[in-house]
Amino acid sequence: MSNYQSNSIDIAALEPIQAKSKRARKWRLLTKPYIYLAPSLILLWIWMYYPTLSTFVLAFQNWGMVPGTAPTPVGLDNFVRLLSSKDFGISIINTLFYTVGLLPFSIVIPLFLAVATHKMEGKMKNVYRAMFFIPLILAPVSVGAIWRWLFHPTNGLVNDLLLQFGLIDSNIAFFSDPVFAKWLILLITGWKMIGFGTILFSAALTGISKDYYEAISLEGANRFQQFRDLTLPLLSPMIFLVLMMSLLFSSQWTFAYIDILTQGGPFGTSTNIYYEMYKYGFSNMDVGLSAAAALLFFVVFGIIAFVLNNITKKYAFYDN
Amino acid sequence: MTKKISLSLAFGLLLLFLSGCGIWGQQTSNASENESDNNSTDLVELDPDNPTTITFYTYSLAVPTMKEGMEQLINDFNDTVGKEKGVIVEPVADPNYQQYRADITAGKDVDVIQHTFGTLDASRLNLDFKAYEDVFPAEELEEHLEGISENALQLGVIDNKMYGLAFTFSTPIVFINGGLFEEAGLDPNDPPETWEEVKEYALQIKEKTGKDGFGLEPDNGWVTDSVFFSNGADIMTEDRSEAVFASEKGIEAIEIWKDIYNSGAHATGSTTEVPEQFMAGNLGMYITSTALHSGFKAAAEAGGWELYGAGLPQFGDQPSIPVNSGSALAVRPDSPEKKAATWEFIKYVTGPEGYTTITEQIGYLPLRTDLAEDPNYLQGFVEEHPLYQINLAQLEHIRPATIWPGEVATEASTIFRDAIVEAVSTEADVTKTLKNAEENINILLK
Repeated sequence: MSNYQSNSIDIAALEPIQAKSKRARKWRLLTKPYIYLAPSLILLWIWMYYPTLSTFVLAFQNWGMVPGTAPTPVGLDNFVRLLSSKDFGISIINTLFYTVGLLPFSIVIPLFLAVATHKMEGKMKNVYRAMFFIPLILAPVSVGAIWRWLFHPTNGLVNDLLLQFGLIDSNIAFFSDPVFAKWLILLITGWKMIGFGTILFSAALTGISKDYYEAISLEGANRFQQFRDLTLPLLSPMIFLVLMMSLLFSSQWTFAYIDILTQGGPFGTSTNIYYEMYKYGFSNMDVGLSAAAALLFFVVFGIIAFVLNNITKKYAFYDN
Repeated sequence: MTKKISLSLAFGLLLLFLSGCGIWGQQTSNASENESDNNSTDLVELDPDNPTTITFYTYSLAVPTMKEGMEQLINDFNDTVGKEKGVIVEPVADPNYQQYRADITAGKDVDVIQHTFGTLDASRLNLDFKAYEDVFPAEELEEHLEGISENALQLGVIDNKMYGLAFTFSTPIVFINGGLFEEAGLDPNDPPETWEEVKEYALQIKEKTGKDGFGLEPDNGWVTDSVFFSNGADIMTEDRSEAVFASEKGIEAIEIWKDIYNSGAHATGSTTEVPEQFMAGNLGMYITSTALHSGFKAAAEAGGWELYGAGLPQFGDQPSIPVNSGSALAVRPDSPEKKAATWEFIKYVTGPEGYTTITEQIGYLPLRTDLAEDPNYLQGFVEEHPLYQINLAQLEHIRPATIWPGEVATEASTIFRDAIVEAVSTEADVTKTLKNAEENINILLK
């Protein structure tokens, strides 16, 4: 009797357990992907989505970022002030200037260097590549300081050499000249970024099978034809990638040199939109204006990225 | 089921978002709590065995020519009064006047700030600076301020309350490279007195030595004000409601400066480059703050030339009017202990010992002018360095540099400075450039 009873209890107890574990398994199965995703989602939220959302909100508010004070809503006032502020127009023109001006340094020259060093044998290949790459990993602040000394109006080597060769009659204050300042910032940033494209193109080149080159040279193609008809199409996905990065990041790359060499001057002629945003936010303590500028450029750069993405899909050639 | 999970996930994210917002709410309530503690100006007793730490944000610590002196000042305090009373000052170097703002906005403890005068009004409004009268006992304050130059004290007063106590202070003077002067056949003991003579001397130096004769960077940001004042022009109306620098006198002053700039004997670099040029011995005369004196002196000794000085040049027979550069100490104590600790530090660094170190080791003026005649403090030093007599003499007819009204301070000062750079250093028409800038600033001010 007691035996039977205990058995029946066992059976009765078993059934719900089975059902429970089944439900638990289902629950686990469903939550599993989200748990895996959670770390990246949380990080993305903290570093990307939350700040982006804050920017959208702050663009319509006036706030000095002091703890204990609250932002006051001002509607579209920030955008009106932004469009009428003195350096905003010139900063947009300069942003375009830097963006377009950097393309030769991020694509044309690196492409040439990568192809030229690709066929090299032995140690020299790495020596050359290291030479192109080193500027990229140097700290921008120290690089900026060295360039500043080189181009110093009276104590600098560049002025000294130009004078000695009789190319100029009097010293040039490069970073106080509205034309030179802009071009020098472009050249210095470009010089530093050459290594970036070169390394990416070199990596992409090693992925192209040697068989193609044998085949095409059997057909009688010379080096230029090989480059045009084989290398270029096979590199196209990488070229589009570098193009997009260059367009989207050129403002960030120039930022450090603007800050170190000219602070946007003389009279605001070398500034770009990122530097203006930084000034609005952290020098004028006007986070609303800064957010409004950021919002405008979020839209503009978003459109550029979207268009380029579509072009890449259409024209890039993938060798599977 | 999937729907439920994604819903709960969305809810979780929402919670995260709200908790993010919560940080602000919390800080707001903290701030108001502290205020109620802080209403009285009585000071609490500090405990030397359990010292209170306060932070001091200073740009002097980030300037190579001033670093040593500032370090000595802070260490002297920590080793003497600080140890005795129980205060430890932690200095933070702030090269671009940005760190204190960033740290205040990040909610860190920023207790004492070395702040420039030009943007004091803006910072007071934005960054919760406390007025001295509101946090320190009236009697002690009054006693301490006695002996400090009244002209200097007034600079930190806004709406009848003192938001900054004059700390480091200097006027611009003409630094002279004696070596180049002699090489050009000029006597450094007989410096130019008018702008006309400045041009004449500069051209002679250029011709004889090949080096630039004179330098005043268009982007200097403060000496420009004395160029205007010395020619009888104003930059703003007295009630600071309108910019008026594009007056006939103002335009004339800038035209005279531009004429020297274009003569080929004027240094062309920016405000970071020209001091380097002068220190390298490549510039005959340079107008800048005496704060650079110790650095220039070291450079002159290393380069084998003598450093001389002269007062600001004048326009014709009108006496020149120098402005001041320098800084005030702003305070934002947030607890009774910090208030007492801050007061000890302020008393030391703006007392006789503090000003003596600032003058001897850095090159600023002693704001307790009596110290210059006191054998216990600065008498010997001033006798040895006659340059300081020029500066002390200039203190008497000094006029404060323009303080742009709080809300628009940074924007207005940028427009003004950029216009001067454009007017002086490019082909641009002076009248048109200045009128344009004046108009833009007046739009801001409305």
